[in-house]
Amino acid sequence: MEGVARTLLDEIAATFGVSFAGLTFVSDGGREAVGYLARSHGKDVDWWRDVRVDLENEPSGVARAVFEATAFAVYDAAESNVVSPKLAEATGARSAAFVPLLLEERVIAVISIATADERRVFSADDLSLMQTLASEAAVALERLRTGVALEEAVAENEERLSQQAALLRAAHALSSELDLPVVLQRLADELADLLAADAADCYLLDRDRWVFRCVAVHGFDDSLLDFEFPMDKGLAGAAIREGRPLIESTYGGIENPVPHPAYEGFTDVTTAPMSWGGEVRGVLGAGRRGGHRFRPGDASVLEAFAGLASLAVRNAETFTQSARQERIQRGFYRIAAALGQSLSRAATLEAVSQAAAEALGGASAAVIVPSYGRLEPVGGYELPDALAEALEEHAATRDGQLFRAATEGRIVASRSIADDERLLQELRETAVSSGYRSLLAVPVEAPRDAGHGLVLIFFAEERAFSDEDLEVARHLGDATRGALERSELFEAERSARAVAQQLTRTGRLLTSELDPAAVLDEVVQQAPALVNAEAAAFRIVDGDELVVTAAEGNGADAALESRSPASGRLSGDVVQSGVAVVLPDAGSDERLRALDPMLAAGHSAFLGVPVGSAEGAVAGVLAVYAEQPREWREEEIEALQAVAASTSAALSNAELYQRVALERERSVAILANIADGIVAVDREGNVVLWNAAAERITGVPAGAALGRAPVDVLQRSLEAPDGAASGDRLVPVMRGREEVWLSVTEAVMRDPLGVVAGRIFAFRDISGDRLVEQVKSDFVSTVSHELRTPLTSIYGFAETLLRQDVVFGEEERKTFLRYISSESQRLTTIVDTLLAVARLDTGDLQVNLAETDVREVVGQVLDTVRLDNGHKVVVDLPDAPLPARADAEKLRQVFSILVDNALRYSPDGGTITVGASVRDDTVEVTVSDEGIGIPQADQEQIFRKFYRGSDAELRVGADGTGLGLFIARGLVTAMGGRIWVASREGEGSRFSFELPAPSEGSGE
Amino acid sequence: MSTELDGYTKHMGGGGGEGGEKVLVIDDEAPIRLLCRVNLEAEGMRVTEAADGTTGLELARNDPPDVVLLDVMMPGLDGWRVAEELLEDARTNRIPIIFLTARAEFRDRARGLDIGGVDYVTKPFNPLELASLVRDLLSRIDRGELDELRGEKLEELRALMETE
Repeated sequence: MEGVARTLLDEIAATFGVSFAGLTFVSDGGREAVGYLARSHGKDVDWWRDVRVDLENEPSGVARAVFEATAFAVYDAAESNVVSPKLAEATGARSAAFVPLLLEERVIAVISIATADERRVFSADDLSLMQTLASEAAVALERLRTGVALEEAVAENEERLSQQAALLRAAHALSSELDLPVVLQRLADELADLLAADAADCYLLDRDRWVFRCVAVHGFDDSLLDFEFPMDKGLAGAAIREGRPLIESTYGGIENPVPHPAYEGFTDVTTAPMSWGGEVRGVLGAGRRGGHRFRPGDASVLEAFAGLASLAVRNAETFTQSARQERIQRGFYRIAAALGQSLSRAATLEAVSQAAAEALGGASAAVIVPSYGRLEPVGGYELPDALAEALEEHAATRDGQLFRAATEGRIVASRSIADDERLLQELRETAVSSGYRSLLAVPVEAPRDAGHGLVLIFFAEERAFSDEDLEVARHLGDATRGALERSELFEAERSARAVAQQLTRTGRLLTSELDPAAVLDEVVQQAPALVNAEAAAFRIVDGDELVVTAAEGNGADAALESRSPASGRLSGDVVQSGVAVVLPDAGSDERLRALDPMLAAGHSAFLGVPVGSAEGAVAGVLAVYAEQPREWREEEIEALQAVAASTSAALSNAELYQRVALERERSVAILANIADGIVAVDREGNVVLWNAAAERITGVPAGAALGRAPVDVLQRSLEAPDGAASGDRLVPVMRGREEVWLSVTEAVMRDPLGVVAGRIFAFRDISGDRLVEQVKSDFVSTVSHELRTPLTSIYGFAETLLRQDVVFGEEERKTFLRYISSESQRLTTIVDTLLAVARLDTGDLQVNLAETDVREVVGQVLDTVRLDNGHKVVVDLPDAPLPARADAEKLRQVFSILVDNALRYSPDGGTITVGASVRDDTVEVTVSDEGIGIPQADQEQIFRKFYRGSDAELRVGADGTGLGLFIARGLVTAMGGRIWVASREGEGSRFSFELPAPSEGSGE
Repeated sequence: MSTELDGYTKHMGGGGGEGGEKVLVIDDEAPIRLLCRVNLEAEGMRVTEAADGTTGLELARNDPPDVVLLDVMMPGLDGWRVAEELLEDARTNRIPIIFLTARAEFRDRARGLDIGGVDYVTKPFNPLELASLVRDLLSRIDRGELDELRGEKLEELRALMETE
């Protein structure tokens, strides 16, 4: 090409008669022009190759030719501001022309020509010709230039390309493999191949100890593997220090050689550090024997290869690590997946078992958790029955180191079950016969500090457990704990839901079940399931005792109706304290078993909560029982308390309803049999209801009252005078000719608008009540009279005797004194009577029962009776004594009262008949008179206090206190007898009383 | 009883005579009747007795006394009824009635005055004051102070009522 250019320049110089012609190529995207060849006076200008023309910043003819893409001429180069003064001076140009070489409208080069001796003018034809030549030349030159570049590239890169191809192959080989040992081996193989070496090796740096460890060899014996040397030794050490590949052609003579005989005999060695993440990770080396030199390019190849190798090793390492992580994570994903579904405890444990087996590559797995103080196998994956049974047996008793390890939170790894003395013989045999060879036992911390459980993973092959395995196991333990906690939450939620459902159900009972017994039956049926118990009992407080009124589960039949002291233990404690009583193992206490039939029936755990009454006191105790000893969880206690609360509400409601129902029944009964008159009137005030009692009280039949106003029926209005219906009012109405006092209450019924829609009147006939008041008042008067009459005589005669103005004879004085004496006796009798009544009223009456001859007492009383008004007494007594069991003094009193009454109430005289006789086991005494008699209606009343026959006063006067028969009955009753009367008005009365005969041979 | 009565009349005859006030005592209690008679006769009054209301009315009609001492609580006809009958009968309606009553309550005394009694004596009473009571009463009636007397008695009752 240079030749072509030279020819071109010489042709142009000759054609246009100039001494200088130069060629510059435009390069660097048009920013620079570079001198290629120049001819001056037929010779090459040497310095022209060094010419660099800045096309953008310096004015020059070249630049103008490039940018204007047309040929132009400069007459005076020295004076022109177009031509570069530097070039003008260097070439000695006087006049100049610049011709662009255009190729596809792009200036690729510029030809400059110049005269050196004199100035001349280049014509337009000259310039046009030059342009044509330049166009021809441009094509030729461009072709030439491209060809040269290709030739150079091929020559230069032939070796490099082959190395790059080898590198590419190596890179492919390395990157297609992710298993680290394989990658390392390939490194050595490819390196040896790439550098045509006799041997190659790969060392990785142990950064903890700063030694290189051999990880792959090619052309060496495998015994070199794992060989280690300090990182500062040998050519490797030097390469590390300098941080670049090194080539050594006298390997046998280096200082500080790597001390291994495998390296003897090598003459040429090249080595390069491997590094990633900015840190040295290892070293690669290749060696030749027999003086085959490595060239400098080999070092570059090695460097490039080391870079690739670093990448591959790093990838493989990362991959291995992530593959392990992935395997672990797969196990946890399974657990996580299980967790994600809010599984029950059982499902969670099953998922954990499966995850454990898969994460560690086991054949089967079991989960054993602490449960209320014991270890209990609760979940399994592919676990043979025989093994499950063996585990259950030994876990429960915590036999053997395996289970002790669980308690202590240690991992037990058994590489060979058959030979592992730590395992129980039976467990070993069962595991081996089930086809298992090794075992990994991972402790699991149970939630809520309940202790440790175990995850057991069985392997079909004998297996040494790596650190990784143990790490997985530990992770597994943590994950299992998480799963258990989650499942507990789930269970808690489920039980909360169950509680809510139960409460809803109980709540429904509030509205549907109105029988308290049915409420309790429902509660004791539902409560056990709610708190994972097996039985329940409800006890109600009955005075000082608790009575089981509802029970469910084992022992319920024996417990029903059983009683226990409310101040005792267990349920008694609940009553006393008013709070829940929680006993995990009440059944082990014999005294408690004796107290509670449910415990006696085999239950162990007891949980009792109080059930309140509407008044806030403890009305009962709801207790649940579990057969196995167990702790009661807080949420279980709360659940039972919630049930107790709603039970309490349900009970109150039911009881309230029953009370209301009872009230209603009573109301119906009252309305039917009511003693009160009920009268209802409508809006217009006309009677719409007139009950039987109203008929009876007013004497007006309903037929005569209905549809009329009460005022028309009774001649008295029943309505409150001022329209205010409040309290009882007294309304006198006439029943025939008799005045009847009514106590009237009134209820006004109003319609929703407040208008009176009707009235209801209820009334009672209180005439009788008024009579009672009258009788009481009369009694006071009577007693007053009875006391004052004898007092008048006593006081009066005493005063009379003391008169100074009158002298009384002996006879008179005796008469006065006799009256004073007899009236004093009368006074004493009255006081005694009043005392007797007081004692009867207060129950203080004392009777001294002894065998008493009734005949004798009757005789004594009759002796004292003063007869006047023509009375005659007939005595009918047997000849023999009449023994009775009685108090002689009281008997005398009774008999006196009857005789006095007989005399008093037969004012017109007549015969008083007194008799006494034995009748069966009793002695009967009779007093008959022929007096005024007692109306039939009064016969039941006369034994009442204050009562006297309704017209007795009229007929016989006010004498007597009205207490005689009341006292007589009280005394007879106190002596164990009875008193009664038979009478006909106007014909007389016959009073009788009987007393028990003394028992045979009692002889008191 | 009547034999005793006869004996005293004879014995005490000197004090009373024809001019003495005539008092009828109606009471079912013999000791009370005796007590009244002994003490009234000692003051020179003439006393007749009846043991029940019916007898008393008969005596009063046949031989009207100057004053009647009338017990309230008696079998058969009680004091109230006897008083009513005495006051209804023209022969006896001018005879002043003094009630003898063991009933101390206000309402009983009021009833006595209401019926037409001029005074009342509550048992137990001092028999020595009986004669002067009768004498004062009769002298005031003689002076035409009957209404005044009843007014005083009602006033007394009112005062009593207020203290009760």
